[in-house]
Amino acid sequence: MSFIAPLFLLGVLGVAMPFWLHRLQTQSSDRKPFSSAMLLETTEQQVHVQKKLKYLVLLALRAALLVFIALAFAKPLWMNPETLPGPGPDGTHLVLVDTSASMSRDGAFEQAISLARQAVDAAPDGAMLQVFVASTAVREASELSADRGVHLAALQGIAPDPSRLDFGQVMTAIDRLAETMPPPVTLHFVSDFQDSGLPARFADMVASQITSLHVHAPSTRPAVNWSAEAIRETADGVDVVVSGIGGDDMATGVELSLNGTAVGTREISGSGTTVLSFAGLVLEPGDNQVQVEITANDDLGMDNRRYHVMRNTPPAPIPLLTLNRSGLPVTYLSAALHSDPDNAFRIETAVIGEFDTRTLSRYSWLIIDDVGAVGPELEASLLEFVQKGGGLLAFAGQRIATAMRIPVSGHSIRPASTTAGDDQFLSIGQVDSGHPLLSGTDGWYAVNLSQTIPIETHPDDDVLVRLENDEAFVIERRLGQGRMLLVAGGLENQWNDLPIRPVFVSFMIEAARYLSGIEQVATAFDAGATLPLSLVGGVSGQVVDPDGRTVLSLADTTRAQRIELHKTGFYEVYTSQGDYVVAVNTDPRESELAAIAPETMQRWVAAMSAAVEPGETLAFEQEAEPFELWHALLLILALVLIGESMLANTHLTLRTSGGSN
Amino acid sequence: MAALGVSQSTARELLRPEVLSRLKNLDLVARSVVEGFLIGLHRSPKFGFSQEFAEYRSYNEGDDPRFIDWNVYARSEKMVIKRFLGETNSHLMLLLDASASMGFGGPPVTKLRYAQFLAASLAFLASKQHDAVGCMVFDEEVRDYRAPSSRSGKLQSVLHCIDSAEARTGTRFDKPFDKFREQISRRGLVAMISDFYCDIDKLLDGVRPLAWQGQDVVLFQILDEQELDPEFQSNVLLEDLETGEAVEVAPEFMRDAYPQRIRAHIESLSRAAKGVGADHVLVKTGDSLDQALRNYLLFRQRRQ
Repeated sequence: MSFIAPLFLLGVLGVAMPFWLHRLQTQSSDRKPFSSAMLLETTEQQVHVQKKLKYLVLLALRAALLVFIALAFAKPLWMNPETLPGPGPDGTHLVLVDTSASMSRDGAFEQAISLARQAVDAAPDGAMLQVFVASTAVREASELSADRGVHLAALQGIAPDPSRLDFGQVMTAIDRLAETMPPPVTLHFVSDFQDSGLPARFADMVASQITSLHVHAPSTRPAVNWSAEAIRETADGVDVVVSGIGGDDMATGVELSLNGTAVGTREISGSGTTVLSFAGLVLEPGDNQVQVEITANDDLGMDNRRYHVMRNTPPAPIPLLTLNRSGLPVTYLSAALHSDPDNAFRIETAVIGEFDTRTLSRYSWLIIDDVGAVGPELEASLLEFVQKGGGLLAFAGQRIATAMRIPVSGHSIRPASTTAGDDQFLSIGQVDSGHPLLSGTDGWYAVNLSQTIPIETHPDDDVLVRLENDEAFVIERRLGQGRMLLVAGGLENQWNDLPIRPVFVSFMIEAARYLSGIEQVATAFDAGATLPLSLVGGVSGQVVDPDGRTVLSLADTTRAQRIELHKTGFYEVYTSQGDYVVAVNTDPRESELAAIAPETMQRWVAAMSAAVEPGETLAFEQEAEPFELWHALLLILALVLIGESMLANTHLTLRTSGGSN
Repeated sequence: MAALGVSQSTARELLRPEVLSRLKNLDLVARSVVEGFLIGLHRSPKFGFSQEFAEYRSYNEGDDPRFIDWNVYARSEKMVIKRFLGETNSHLMLLLDASASMGFGGPPVTKLRYAQFLAASLAFLASKQHDAVGCMVFDEEVRDYRAPSSRSGKLQSVLHCIDSAEARTGTRFDKPFDKFREQISRRGLVAMISDFYCDIDKLLDGVRPLAWQGQDVVLFQILDEQELDPEFQSNVLLEDLETGEAVEVAPEFMRDAYPQRIRAHIESLSRAAKGVGADHVLVKTGDSLDQALRNYLLFRQRRQ
C-alpha cells in the first residue's frame, strides 16, 4: 500500500478527539441527588463492563470514522499482487519488430510481419506476450497479455518508418522493460540486422534480463540500392553525393529541385559514390528548399530522396562605434564576424561623434571598441537603447584607463590597473563554460594579457571570464530589458593578444548571436530526431509537416514543445522569433543494407544466453496498475457512519429518558 | 365547616399535597387539612371528636363538678357527668426531622414540606381537642423547640416553628430524644416525623427510654415514591444528600434489589417500633393527609 498524499495522514491525529470526548464523558457521568445512600450498592462489575463495552464500541467506531476519512483523503493505493502477471513456467515472450527505414526494402517487411506472427503462434499457451516496435525508440504495439489475438491484430498495424535503429539503444530499452515482466523473458527479434546498426560497444547489445534471444531475419536477395547521401552547398550551387550498391549494370537519373521546381538532372550508372554538381542556382530570399530525387526503382525507396535547406538571408548590419575607422579593432571585429559560416552579421563602422543616435532603434545590438570614448550624450542614448532591450558589446580600451567609471554600465574602476610583471603575462583563470555565450568557445586559456582595467563588479553581474588573479575580464550586466557585455581589455593588440587568438572569432560569433537574441537553428535533421520549440512570449509556435498538416493543436502552441520528426521532407516552423524550414532525411546509415556478420550474430545470441543461467530466477519487481482504495474506503466510511449514528443515538435516547427521572 | 365555607368535595381536594403545596400559609394549610378531614370524619361511625357527646355517667366523688350536667339533674335529680369523645386532656409533642435527606422528593412537595403539612395538621387537630402541643425541629442538632402548651396563641408559635424548618446537614436522633427527656416529664403523645434513614438500633436507643417514661410514641415515616420504586433507565451516580457520598448504581439494581431493601428497612423499623411499644406509620408524599390524620386518631384512640 502506498499513499499519494501522505500529508492527509496528519488527519489521523483527529482520532485523539473521540478519546478526549470519551474521557470527558466518563468524568461527567450523570450525578443525581438521592435521599440516602445507606441502602444503595455500587453497580456490579458486570454492568460496568457492559457499559464500558458499549462505549468502547462507540469509541472504536468514532475513531475508525476519523481514520477512514483521513485515509480516504490520503488516497491510498493498493498494489494487488494477485492481479499481476506472476512468474510462471511459461514466462514472457516479447516480439520485437524492426521498423527502421531499411526494413522498407522490397518484400522485407511483409516477411518480418510473417515471422513475428509465427513467433506469437509458437509461444506456449500460458505464456504472456507483448509486441514492441523499434526504430529510433522502442514502442509498445500491444499490452502484456496471454491473448494472442490482440498481438496478431497489433502486428497488422505496424509499418516501417524512415528512422534509424541502433541495436545498442534498443536492447538497453528492452532490458529495462523486461525488468518488470514475469521471467523467464524470451525475446523474438525480427529485423534485417543491419551491420550499420551495431553500437560502438558490443556489450550494449547484451540484455541481462532477457533469458533467451531468438533472431528472425527476413530472407532477402542481394540488394540494389542508390541513396542520396548528402547535399553540400557550394559557392553557386550544391554538390549532391549519391551512393549506389549492387547496380553495376544499371543506370539511373538524379533530379534536383529548388523550391519545388526541377532545376537539373543528372545520369549515373554503376555502384559506388558519385558527386554530382549543380551550379547556377538562383536562390530566393529566406529559406530555399532543395530536393534531390533518384528516379531508380531500387530495393529501398526511402533513401532515394534527400532534402536540404539553403538559407539566403542577408547579413544583419551591426554598428561598430569607434574613433578610428581604420584602426586595428575595426579590422579584428570585422574579420571575426565575417568568419561566421551563416554570414548573419555585417559590421557598419561609425565614428563616435558622428553617429546619429536616432538610428539606434534600427539595430538589435552594437559594438564599441573603446567604451572610454563614449561621451555623456551618447552614454544616455546607449543606456536607453540597452534598457529597452538592446545589446551592447563594449571593450575597455586605453581611453578608459584614466576614468573612474565605465560609461553605460556604471561599473567603478579601481585606481590602479592590473599590470603583469615586465616579462610576465597574465592568463585566463576561470571560464564559465556553462554560459550559452561561452559554451561554444574554446581556447581562452591561451590568451595572454599584460594589462586589464580593474573593474569593481556588482553582485548582480555575471562574470563570464576571470583572470588568474581573480579579476573579472568578461562581465555581463543586465540593464533593464537588455544586456551589456563588457570586456576589461582593448582590441589594439597591446594589452592582450585576444584579437589574434582563434577564440576571439568564436567569441564574437557567439556574442553576436547571444546579443541579437537569435539562436542558431539547425536546418537538417535525421528522421526520428526531435525539434525543440522554445516558449517565447507565451507561445511556442506552429509546425507544418511535409504533408501540409499542422503538428500542434492550438493548446499545444502555448507550451514549450519538442516535436518528433517522423516524416522525411520539409517541416515549416513558425515561431515568434521568425519562420524557418528544416529538412528531415533518412539516416544515411539505413542505406547500408549489409547485414551483421554471422559470427557476430552467433556471438550475440550466445552472449544473451550466457547472461542468464537456465533456471535462474531473475529479479522481478512487481509493478501493476494500482487500485485506488478510496472508493472502498468511502463505502466502509458510510457503514461506520451508520453504525456510529445508531449506537450514539441509543446512548442519547437512554440519557434523555434517564434525565427525565 | 361553615366557617371555611367549603363543600365536602372541596375540602377533600384540599387534603391533596399538590393542592396544599400552593398554599403559602402553613396555618391555612393545617386548618384546611383538619377541617377537610373532619368533614369526612363526621360521616364515619367509628370516630368522634372532643366536642361531640359520648355518654353520661354517674357522678363519683372526686369528679370535677364543672362537668355535671345540671339540666339532667333538674329533670331527674341525678348527678351525671357528660363525657365527650376524644377528650383526654393530653399533650402532643411533634419531633420534626429537618435533615438534608428530608429535602428529597417532589414535585409537588418534598418530604420535608409534606412533613411540615402533617406536623401542622396534627398540631391543629390536637389544639382543637384542647391538647397541649409542642414542637421540636432537629437534624444533627436541635434547631428549634417549642414546649407543649394549650394556651391560645401557642398554636401559632408551633406552626411558625414547623414552617421555619429547612432541610440541611445530617441526622442524629439521640439529640432530640435527650432534649425531650430533659424538658418533658409528663406523659403524653410523641409524634416523630422523619424518613428514618438511620440505624434502627440507635433509633430505638432513643425511643425506648421514652416508652419507659410512659410516653406514647408514633413514628411517621415520610417517603417519596422515588425512594420506594425508583425508575432509572441507565447507570446513574446517586449522591447522598446528607453525606455527599456518591454511589454509581445500575438500573437493574434500582429496579430489583433496592425496592426490596427499602421495604425490608421499613418492616424492620415497624417491627422495632412495636417492640418498644411505639407505632409506625408509613406516609408517602403522594398520599392525602387525611390518611395520616386518621392513623393519628386511631393511635390516640388506642392510647386512651
